Amino acid sequence: MLAVGDSTRLEIIFSTKRYTNRITKRPRIETNEGPPDKNVTIISQVVRRPDSTYPVIVKPYKLDVSQFGEKVRDEMKFTLTNVSETNLTVTLVDEPYGYATVQLPEVIEAGKSAEGIIHLNADALDQSFEKSFTFELDDEQTSRFTVPVKRTVRKPPASAAQTTGQ
Amino acid sequence: MKKVLITTLLFVGLLAVASANAAPRLTVPVSEFDFGYVPQNSNVSHTFWLHSTGDDTLRILNVKPG
Repeated sequence: MLAVGDSTRLEIIFSTKRYTNRITKRPRIETNEGPPDKNVTIISQVVRRPDSTYPVIVKPYKLDVSQFGEKVRDEMKFTLTNVSETNLTVTLVDEPYGYATVQLPEVIEAGKSAEGIIHLNADALDQSFEKSFTFELDDEQTSRFTVPVKRTVRKPPASAAQTTGQ
Repeated sequence: MKKVLITTLLFVGLLAVASANAAPRLTVPVSEFDFGYVPQNSNVSHTFWLHSTGDDTLRILNVKPG
């Protein structure tokens, strides 16, 4: 329920499954405003071989920041390799709001690699989640890449930890 | 006294008309998002902002996958 003048967020999760090529989805929002319902549109280019994209290759192409045990894991590095012949400027378009912040290199020189890093927010460390971030390049196609981010948290029960300690 | 009564009735009448015409309205300022390249067999997500811009309470009843 939204009072007059209020706002809320709607998170759309897209499971790419075994889709290939360009996929467009239009989830429909049903409200008491009545028909016609409003839509949001998501567009994607699902790739079967994410290790050979152009003009950039992201490694790893899926980030798993899972934590099994007490040792806190709150960040992960990844590499962007520019496989084109021109320097590319990188812009962050979307990041997992409230879960993590993403740092990207400003420019990746032609033929070179640069490092990015994702930092998990303190509030998100006890949570398991699947999110993503999106960046855009300044090539002719203004190519975009979305990198999935997954976190599973499994800690030993407190009693088990005590037993181990004795 | 009569004037006050008529004015009050007019005011109440106008309020009733305004209330009857009040309508909820959903506004989605940015309703499209391009993920670009996405790997197969993965989950990605994007958050859209929804605004209630009508003059009555907006109820979101359902979101159906497209």
